[in-house]
Parts: sequence; structure tokens; C-alpha cells
Amino acid sequence: MNKKAIVFLLVFAMVIVACGDTTEEAAVEATEEEHDHEGESTLEQVQERGFLKCGVSTGATGFTEVGDDGSYSGFDVDYCYAVAAAIFGDYSKVEFKQLTAAERFTALSAGEVDVLIRNTTWTQSRDTELGNDFGPTTYFDGQQLMGRVSDGLSSSSTLADIDGLRVCTNAGTTTEKNITEGAGLVGATIELVTVEAFSEAIDKFIAGECDIVTTDGSGLVGRRAVNDALNDWAIFPQSPISKEPLGPTYRSNDSQWADIINWTVYATIIADEYGVTRANIDSFDYDAAPEMGRLFGKNDGELQTKMGLSADAYYNVIKQIGNYDEIFSRNLNPLGLYREGGANARWTEGGLVYAPPAR
Amino acid sequence: MVDLIKKNAKSLQESLFSSVGSAALTIATTYLVINFFRGMLGFALTSDKDWLAVLNNMQLYMVQAYPEEDFIRVWLSVGLTFVLAGLSIGIWRSDDRVKSSQVFNSFFKGGLGVLFFTIIAPTNSSFMGNDGSVITEEVFSMETRLGILIPVAIFCVIFFSIRFININFTVNSSDMVFFYLFIPVALLWFIKLPTIQLDQNNERIIPDPVMPIADTTKIPWTVIFVSFLASYFIGMYLKNIKSIKSIMSLSWFLLPLLIFSWIFKKPQIDMSVVLGSDLPIFGAFLLWGFLVITFVNNSIFKKYYSTYLGLTFLLTLVGVFSGLPMLAKTCLLLIALFSVVVPAVSTSSQGKRSLLIVWAVALVTLTFLLRGGASDTGIVVPGSSIFGGFSLTWLLAIFGTYVSFPLGVLLALGRNSKLPIIRIVCTGIIELTRSVPYITWLFFASVTLAVFLPAGVEFNLIVRVLMVTAFFSGAYFAENIRGGLQSIPKGQYEAADAIGMSPFQKISLIIMPQALRAVIPTLVSSAITAFKDSSLVTIIGLFDFLTIGKTVIGNQSIPVNFVGHDRENLIFVAIVYWIFTFTLSRRSMKVEKKLGLGER
Repeated sequence: MNKKAIVFLLVFAMVIVACGDTTEEAAVEATEEEHDHEGESTLEQVQERGFLKCGVSTGATGFTEVGDDGSYSGFDVDYCYAVAAAIFGDYSKVEFKQLTAAERFTALSAGEVDVLIRNTTWTQSRDTELGNDFGPTTYFDGQQLMGRVSDGLSSSSTLADIDGLRVCTNAGTTTEKNITEGAGLVGATIELVTVEAFSEAIDKFIAGECDIVTTDGSGLVGRRAVNDALNDWAIFPQSPISKEPLGPTYRSNDSQWADIINWTVYATIIADEYGVTRANIDSFDYDAAPEMGRLFGKNDGELQTKMGLSADAYYNVIKQIGNYDEIFSRNLNPLGLYREGGANARWTEGGLVYAPPAR
Repeated sequence: MVDLIKKNAKSLQESLFSSVGSAALTIATTYLVINFFRGMLGFALTSDKDWLAVLNNMQLYMVQAYPEEDFIRVWLSVGLTFVLAGLSIGIWRSDDRVKSSQVFNSFFKGGLGVLFFTIIAPTNSSFMGNDGSVITEEVFSMETRLGILIPVAIFCVIFFSIRFININFTVNSSDMVFFYLFIPVALLWFIKLPTIQLDQNNERIIPDPVMPIADTTKIPWTVIFVSFLASYFIGMYLKNIKSIKSIMSLSWFLLPLLIFSWIFKKPQIDMSVVLGSDLPIFGAFLLWGFLVITFVNNSIFKKYYSTYLGLTFLLTLVGVFSGLPMLAKTCLLLIALFSVVVPAVSTSSQGKRSLLIVWAVALVTLTFLLRGGASDTGIVVPGSSIFGGFSLTWLLAIFGTYVSFPLGVLLALGRNSKLPIIRIVCTGIIELTRSVPYITWLFFASVTLAVFLPAGVEFNLIVRVLMVTAFFSGAYFAENIRGGLQSIPKGQYEAADAIGMSPFQKISLIIMPQALRAVIPTLVSSAITAFKDSSLVTIIGLFDFLTIGKTVIGNQSIPVNFVGHDRENLIFVAIVYWIFTFTLSRRSMKVEKKLGLGER
């Protein structure tokens, strides 16, 4: 019996040590993160933690990019920076979490990120079923098609013109659904070629394996700027076949947090309306524009303090990140995406970018 | 010389053209292989490929967002590995001599390879223009071809004929490592590469100016090479010191832990925790171990030793799931394990003394490593983790193998155990982990594992991934090793029993060495699989080597536009993976040869 007991203990010890091995490694790498306290508001959690966890894309040209030194840049990334600047007065207090399309909402609801700024389309089902709330739209996108001028297509073509053509698109996305529905409505028969990633769709388009490629307009313009040396590629129809309003997403039922995110976006838009930029923010005449004065906490910053922020929170946003126009042109103009004449122009110039008044 | 050619021609004829059928097969496959390489070379050389998309992003590939001011830590990690490698090569310096003719022969073969590729490389290659038309251009002109062919051919002829001059010059096979490493390091100082330069308007200057390799790359590598060489000589000098080999093996085991908990991590040490919690725990366990060793031969203690062991294990189990500090938990595990070994070793006062030393050293190492590992990192990274790119792939591969191999051994032994509970538990673990796909386990780690952990315990994603990886590849290792165990004849067990070996001695001295030896090829292929499977972590949002090439670089537009250059990056990634796995399998072949596997 004694011998058996020893053998038993020996093997038991081995198993324990084996488990211990993993705990040991785990401990070596474990970060003793503060456990999220139930009932604490998101703002309190973020302030206690000392940095913002922002969910961004795994890679979307112009929106989320990783540079050759690993630094982040892009339109969505700048809005993450802006929120951090509003909360901490220091834009760099962000931890980015790159999320795939499949896991983004799970990550948000599990608290892995505080806010999701990951070119996510605002839809009714996502708003209601998934327990998310959507902030103001930062970029109005829409699905468009791209074909060749040499095939008789132009920027004024319509969906009816693609009758009988081969269309490349990503499999299993709303893009695929939109084009099938849209073509069906105008009675055009198309041959659908589905691929896994958009870059593959472009490769097939270049190789002539399909005549049309379709995705969000911003993606098409970006690729046309790079690859279309002969000016042969036309993007159509003029008004996109779907609406893709992209903006920040956060967990529902936390109106303080929602206010902070929303007004960060609005502050960049209002600053753009008044022409306040990073460069002129300190020389701006705030007496002539009391709305700006209030927003920046120059006259009194009561509203910001009520939100749980410091009075000059939005001053920091504009000072460190810039207004909407600066963020837009910095990231998207190099790709050939411009505000003028599109949905992302100022509301005074016929666009949709509009903010409620700050008072 | 004529005889040699005749002999070769004859064997060539026998193996390739023995019948009409095999001749046809030979011609067909040769045609296919040549066309494959031609196509690859043509693809790589056309002007629409921007290979600087790869070169310019080397830093991203290696360490992702690791801050530049802390690069010294990365170099230190690499350097320490090389120093340890140098010491080991020196200590285990083999007496095998490589004949000069063998060396010349390998040069000759290498030259032949270059000749082959130069000859088959296509002169013209075509690619798809943006309008869908096929553009054909000259990618490899006759001048360049001849410029490479002639010197290489001369090189080949020299090394072919030099073999027939009778020189009895031999080189120690260990020394050759330095020669092979010297060539790339020396090349760093001479080679010039095209580099991306931006003008005042932030536009890329085309054509890319050719620049020497940056000092920040070549100086560290040179320093590493020199210290490698120095440590080799030190290793040869230390060769005859007693137990140096076991110290080296232990260092190899500890080095990755040291790198990942202190060097790479830059822990922020909180002195109040060290003094208030670590030191008391350390002292208490040191005393505990000391008492156990001192009183182990006491008759009363001896009588109740199994009760003491049982209590310790119970305490350990309770401790692991309680809110104790991590150090206390691991020390409990360590003392439990230690208590098992003590009675067997502490029969003499000599044994007792060495046990004490072992205990003290183990405790110090554990406390030191754990303090580094559990502290917050001082590295500020804008992304979510200090590991990314190759450092993440490496971390997953190394720790995957480190943890899962011992785990696999234990699981295999447990599955063969005569005790039903152990057998059932081990079989359960193996079958459960093996029958679920790895991707599912990764999702489990990223989404659900947090739910299963005791309250208050929260690991970051990489640690959770490491945990499931350890169990997953551990299960595969276990099955491989079980195969080895089954190949051991029963007589081996009986013989070990007959000379009165304890079960521990029997397993560790007789059974395991033979069983592991028998399954080296499958173990290596498991390790290779684990290395490659690490790229699957991309689906839970971790950025390993492959993901950087596949999704990150193809999206860069600022300051240089690399949009659409995914294929160059994918080829580069494939080549790097190939180099590592190929080296691993070649090394394992050498080990097999040394152990005389397959020759019995």
C-alpha cells in the first residue's frame, strides 16, 4: 500500500507541477489588471485605469494604419486620440486594440474596449439587438462600383449598365447582399465572383477576371489612386447604392460616456465651422465667438465639468488633434478622398457634417 | 577524376533513366520544376513589385511597436542567446573533423545551385498592367546573366578541381559555425541596399537611392558576433569543469524566462512589495525547506511523512485557488514537489547539503523571475502588447514547446499509468484537447477563459493563448511520446525493477531516454507544426509575423504608399518560415544520426 501511495503521489505531483508550469508562465506574464468593478461608470473605469482602450480595425487604408515603426495613424485612430485628449488632456493615453469584423461587438460588450471606432456602419439591428449605441457619424460612406472606361462605363453609369458583367466582391458581407439586391431591382443579371479579401477582388479586377469590383466608396477611391495609372477606372453610380454611416460605437445605457464621445466628435465639427485649427487656436478671438469660448472653457467650462471632464477638455482635443477638416485632410486627402461636393462636406456647403450647438 | 565522372554518370543513368517510363517521368518532372522556378523568378523580378515594402518594414516585422529607445533590450536578448550558444558549442565541442574536401564540396554545390538559377531565370517576364493588358519587360538581361555566370562558374571549377589536390587539411566541425556566421556579418559592412528616402514634400525619391546598411543594424550584429566568438573560447576553456554541462542546460531553460520577464519586459519594481511581501514569503519558504531537509531522517517525522506530503498537496491545491500572492502559490507548488524528492536524496549529509543549495538557488531564481514577470512593464507601447511580429511568433513557439513538452511527457506517462484515476484524467485531457480544433481553443482563450478563472485573476490575452497552446500541443506531444513508450519492450521495465530501481529512476533513466529517442522525428514535426500554427492567433486579433505581412503592410499609405503590395510580403514571410523550419528539421536529422537512430 505504502509503495502504491508513493507512486500515486509522485504522479500526482507531476500532474500538479505540469499545471504549475502553466501557472508559473502565466504568472510571469500576467498583468495584474484592475478587475472591473461592477456598477462603476465607464468614465470612472477609464480614469482609474489611466488610459483609454480603443477598438480599431486590423487595417483599413486611411482609417487605421500601422506605420513602419509600429505607430498608429488614420482617421479612426485620430478620433481615439481625440477622446483620450478630452479625458486626460493627453492624446497619447490610448491603448489600441485591433479587432476583426467578427469579434468587434463581442469585444465591446465584454469590456475589452471602451469605445469602438472601427469604420463600423450604424444599422438598426446593431443599435437594438447587440446592446450598442452609436455616436455621431464621422464619415458618410456608401457602396459604389468600379469599372473600366474601356468597357463603356463612366462615372455617370448606373446599376442597369452592369447587365451581364462579372462582379467581384467580398463573400458574406452586406456588400454582397446589396449588389445582388440592387441588381435584381433594376433587372440586371450579374455574375457574382466572391473572394475572401478586398485586395483579392482588386487583383482579380486587374487581371480581368471580373469587370466590376464593388465595396465602400472610400476603399475604391483609395485603390484607384494607387493602381489606376491610365485613368481607366470609373467609380459609379453618383449616389452610392447603400448608406454606410461610420462612427464611434459604445455600450448602451451609459449616457455620461455617450455624451463624452459624442461631444468630442461635435467639438471637432464645431471647431471646423468656426475655422479654429491647431495653428490658430491660441490666437483665436473668443469674444467674437462665445460658443467656441464655452466649448473650450475660456469663458466658463461649466458644461464640460458637468460631463465629468475638465473645463478645457475640448480645447485639448483641437489643440492636440485638430478640427474635423484637419483630421479628414490629413488622413484621407492623400488617398484621393476629398470633402468638397460629397456627403462629408460642411452642412453649409451641402454636405451632411453637422453638429448641434454648444450652449 | 574520370572514374568519378563515370561513376556519377552511371548512377545517374540508373536512378533517372533506367527504363522508358522513368525517363519520361524524369523529363516531365524536370520540365515542371524548371518552369516553377522560372515563373517564381520572373514574378519576383518584374518592375511592378516593390520589394522595399518588405525592407522598409523590417522593424515592424520583428518587434512591431516596441519603442526604439528600448531596442537595446531586444539586442541584449538576441546577444545573450548567442553568448549562451557560443558557450554551449565550446563546451560540447565535438571532436569531429571536417575534411577540407568536404567543405570545398559544399561550396561547389552551392555554386552549382546559383548556376542553376542563373541559367533558368527568364530573360523576359510579363505582369498584368492596371488596364488588364499584359506588359512584358526584360527582367534579366544577358549582361547580368553573364556577369553572374562567369565568376560563379570559375568559382565552381576551382572548388571542384581543388578536391583532387591532395591536401590533408581538416577543420573542427564546431569551428565551421563561426565561418558560416562570419559571412553574413561581414557582408553587412559591404553590401548596399536601396532605401526609401523622402524629399521635402514627403514624396518618395525614385529611383530609390542605394545606401549602406544602417549602423543601428550592423554594429549590434558585429558586437554579437564578437561576443559569440569570445564565449566559444571561454566555453572551450570551461569544458572540463565538473557539472558545467548541467549548469548550461539549466541556463538554456532559464534564459527565455529571464528574457521575457526582465530583459524584454523592463519591469517597474515596486520596492514596498518586494520588502513587504516577497521577502517574508521567500524567507518563510526557505525556512520550510530547511526544516524538511533537516528533520527528514527524524524517526517521528519519517513515520508521518506521507501524511505531511498529503497535507502539503492539499494546501497547495487550496492555495492555488485562493487569493494568495502569486509568489506564495508557486512556492507552495515548489515545496510540494521538493518534499517528494527529499527523502530519496537526503540519505547522506553530502546529499543534504547539495539539496539545501538547490533549494536556496531555486527559490532565489523563482522569486527573481516572478517579481519581474508580475510587475508592470515599463515599455510604453501604443498598441495592446509589447509582443508583436516575430517576437510574438517566437514567444508562442518557444513557450509553446517549453511548456507543452514536459506536459506531454507527464500526460503520456499518466495515460500509461496503472492507477485508474490518473489514467482517466490524463486520457480525458488528451482526448478533450485533441478533439477540438486549435482555432476553437483560441476563441476559448480570447472570449471564455476569463469566465473559468477564479475571481480576481485576470491574465492578458497572450498569456491565455499560451495556456491553451501549452495544453493543445502538449496533448499531441503526449500521444507521440506514448507511441515511443509502447515501443519499449517489457523486458526493460522488468530489468529496471530487477536491479531495484525506484519508479522515478526507472522512468527517468531507463524508459524515457529510449522512448524519446524513438520518436524524435515525430517530436520535431510536432514542434514545427506548433511554430507554424502560431500564425493562427491572427483571428483573435494578435499580430504575429504573418499578420504583419498580410494585413498591416498592405494598408500603409503614410508616408509611403504600399497599398496593394501584399504578395511581396507574403513571399518574404513564406521564405522566413521555410528557413526556420528547414533548419530545425536538418538539425533534428543530425541529432538522429548521432544517436544512431534507424541503424539498429
